[in-house]
Parts: sequence; C-alpha cells; structure tokens
Amino acid sequence: MNYKPDEATLVAYFYRELEPAEYEKVERYLAQNPEERRRLGEWSFTNKVMAGLPDKEVIAPPIFLGDGVSHRSIWNEKYFRMTLGIAASLLFLLVASWMLGLSASYSQGELKIGFGSREKTQIESVSALTEDRVNEMIQSSLVKNTDQVQGAWSEGRQSLEQSMQKNLVANSAKVDRFVQSASTANQEQVRNFVSQMQNDNLKLMKEYMQLSAAGQKEYIGGLMVDFSKYLQEQRKQDLQLFQVRMNNIEENTDQLKQETSQILTSLINPGSTAGNNTRRN
Amino acid sequence: MSLTLPDISTMHADHLIAQAREGDRNAQGKLMQVWYKRIYNFSYKFFYDHDLAMEVAQKTFISMHRNISNLQDSGRFRSWLYTIAVNSCREELRKKKNNRSVSLNEMRPGEKEESYQWEATGVRREDPEKVLRQNELSDLLQNCLMQLSEEQREVVIMKEYEGLKFREIAEALNISENTVKSRMYYGLEALKRMLERKKITKETIGYEL
Repeated sequence: MNYKPDEATLVAYFYRELEPAEYEKVERYLAQNPEERRRLGEWSFTNKVMAGLPDKEVIAPPIFLGDGVSHRSIWNEKYFRMTLGIAASLLFLLVASWMLGLSASYSQGELKIGFGSREKTQIESVSALTEDRVNEMIQSSLVKNTDQVQGAWSEGRQSLEQSMQKNLVANSAKVDRFVQSASTANQEQVRNFVSQMQNDNLKLMKEYMQLSAAGQKEYIGGLMVDFSKYLQEQRKQDLQLFQVRMNNIEENTDQLKQETSQILTSLINPGSTAGNNTRRN
Repeated sequence: MSLTLPDISTMHADHLIAQAREGDRNAQGKLMQVWYKRIYNFSYKFFYDHDLAMEVAQKTFISMHRNISNLQDSGRFRSWLYTIAVNSCREELRKKKNNRSVSLNEMRPGEKEESYQWEATGVRREDPEKVLRQNELSDLLQNCLMQLSEEQREVVIMKEYEGLKFREIAEALNISENTVKSRMYYGLEALKRMLERKKITKETIGYEL
C-alpha cells in the first residue's frame, strides 16, 4: 500500500475536517507509520500549549459608529410602494376615461354614464317641441287657470255676502233684546241696591249713636268725678294755706302786741327804757 | 479560543444578519456587540498591540456597517467579516512598516517583575506567582505567534483561536483550501520547533495544562 497523505490531508485529519472515507485511509496509514502518529501527537501538545494564550477582555463601544444616514431606500418601503401603486392606478383610469370620452352626469334622480359627446341626444330629445308650441301651451294653461280662479272667486264672494246679510239680521234682533233686558235689569238692581244701602246706613247710624251716647255718658261721669276730686283737693289746699296765713297773722299780732306793750312800758318808764334798749340791742 | 454556546448560536443568527442587511441599525449594533471581542482578539494576536487591535476592530465594523447590504449570503457572514478584518490588519501592517518610529507601548518589558503589565494586572486576588507564570506563558506564546510569517499567523489564529473551518478561512483569505491547510501545516511545525527551543515540553509545562 503506497498511500501517503500529503500535508493538507494530514492537517485536515488532525482537525477532523476530512471525509469519512479519507479519514479511514489516513487512520490506516498512521497505524502503519507510528512516526507520523507521533508527529501528530506533538501537534496535539503544541495545540494545547497554544490554547494557553487567553482572549483579552474588551468592551464593545455602546454606540455604533455609522455615517448617520440610513441606506434603506424609500423605494423599498412597503407603504410607499402601496401608495405609489394606488396613485398609478388612478392615473391610468383618468387617462383611459379621457381618451374614451367618458362622461357621467346625475340629474333628476338619473345617473347617466356614457362614452363620447352627449350633445346630439339632447338636441334630438328637444327637437319634438318648438318654442311657439310651448308658448301656446303656456298661454292656454294660463287662461284656463285665470278663468277657474275668477269663477271660484265670484262664487265665494256671493256666498259670503249672503251669509253676512243673514248673520247681520239675526244678530241685530238678538242685540236689541239683549239691550232691553239689560236696561230693565239694571233699573231694578239700582233700586234694590239704593234701598238696601239706606237701610244699612240707618242701622249703622243707630248703632253708632247708641254706642257714642253710652261712651259719652261714661266719659262725662268720669270727668265730673275727676273734677269734683280736683275741687275738693283744691279746697283742702286753700284751707291749709288760709290756716297758715291766719297763724302767721296771729303770731304777728302777738308780736306787735308785745312790742306795743314794750313801747308803752318804755314810754312809761324811760329809765328802764335805756336798760331795755341795751338789753334789746 | 473561548467560544461559548451562546456565542455560537448568536453567530449563526441568520435573522439578525438579515435585518442588518436591510439597514436595521439596531441589528447592526447587536452584531457588533456579538463580534467585537472576536475581531479585537484576532487583531490583538496578529499585532500583539492593543491600540492597533482597537483600530482594526473599529475599521472592521465601520466597513461592515457600510457594506453589509452587499452581502449576498447570510451563511457566509463570518468569513466575510474576517475578510474585512484581515484586510484591515494588512492595511495597518503596511502603515506600520512604512512608519519606522517605535511606540513606547511596543517596547516589551520582557520578563522583569517591575513591568507595567505586571503592575496593570487586575487579578490581584489570585496567587501572584500563578498570575506571573500565566503572564509569562502568554507573552511567550504570543512571541511565538509573532515569529510566524504573516500568512501563517493569519491562518493559525483563525484556526486555533477563532475556530473557523478551512473552507471559511479560504473564503476569508480568498485562497484555496489546500493552501490554507499547507500554511497551517507549516505554521504548526514552526510553533512546535519554537516551543522545543524554549524548552516547553510535556515534562516542563505539564502541570500548567
């Protein structure tokens, strides 16, 4: 067996990236060549040693450094495409309708859709009626209408006048009767009212006079009593005053008597007068 | 290669890719969130430079945003994205070769304990000795990768760390599958020899694996 794997195959075998058939071939080759297997073992050791070189810890920048412009085209936006599609469809319909002469109208509850010009049909439909014919129709209808209105108006007027006359006659008689009855009724009522009022006044006067006489009596009686009391009191006071005056007069009289007697005695006894005057002074 | 099941399922989210193709910014942003770490790590392993990796990742996703509407097949999104990343890496590489000045960040601190990488290590709660060993091993493996040719490095990173199939790598690089496998073969051989030179054997490093 002359199979000998090349360098690439050996490396692929070492990293287990060979096809199964190729892998088995290399296995068989290595079984027969322990020197090669030993070399792969050394690679294994080298591999393990090199794995001792650890990764460095690093923190990624928190903000992505872009150029600030989104490269997403607006043409790829879903809503933009949909709007563009609708607009294109409407434009297509407008152009098609313009080219085909599409016309649509709505009048008097009728919706008309057609292609091309519609003036011809209008002319044809109108051609049956001429202007004079229309004027005649209008005139005749106006005359008929006027006759009907006048006839109805005259009939109404006559009936209205008749009914007014009837009502007038009937109402005048009624009014006369009513006025007569009202006047007679008023005379009787006035008499009754006056007589009743006189009686009432008489009664009121009587009652008033009676009441006033009794009150006057009481008042006069009270007044007389009061006056007599006053007079008695006045008499008492006068008597007291008189008594006081009389007493004063008596005292003055007594005093005058004494003075007179003294004067007389002094005149009679002049010696003793000086003595009396000195004593009096 | 730390792809998880959620990552894989997200990667194959054709719906998300389809939305992004229709110009959905939100979907594009989600794609970037999912793939940013992968593209960054691919670039980082290719250059072993954080700034260049960030630059490549940013350019890749800007290009993705501009051109994703032209993507015909959602199933080819992964290889398409890596195509952009590889092209960005090559562009940065050309710029780097034309620019002879050396950045301070490119001056590797080597194996000194006072290196800035050691100072910058965020895993302070773990065993410092273990962390140091891990960092040394990572530096060593990364240096091994950097010694590969650019063509081999692209293929090895895509296969070993990004988990692409040979077919996808071939699509991404626009070459035949056999060429990819051949580059992988010589890449693996070169890495094996480098590890042997650095005395990394089963006996010396077995406890780490």
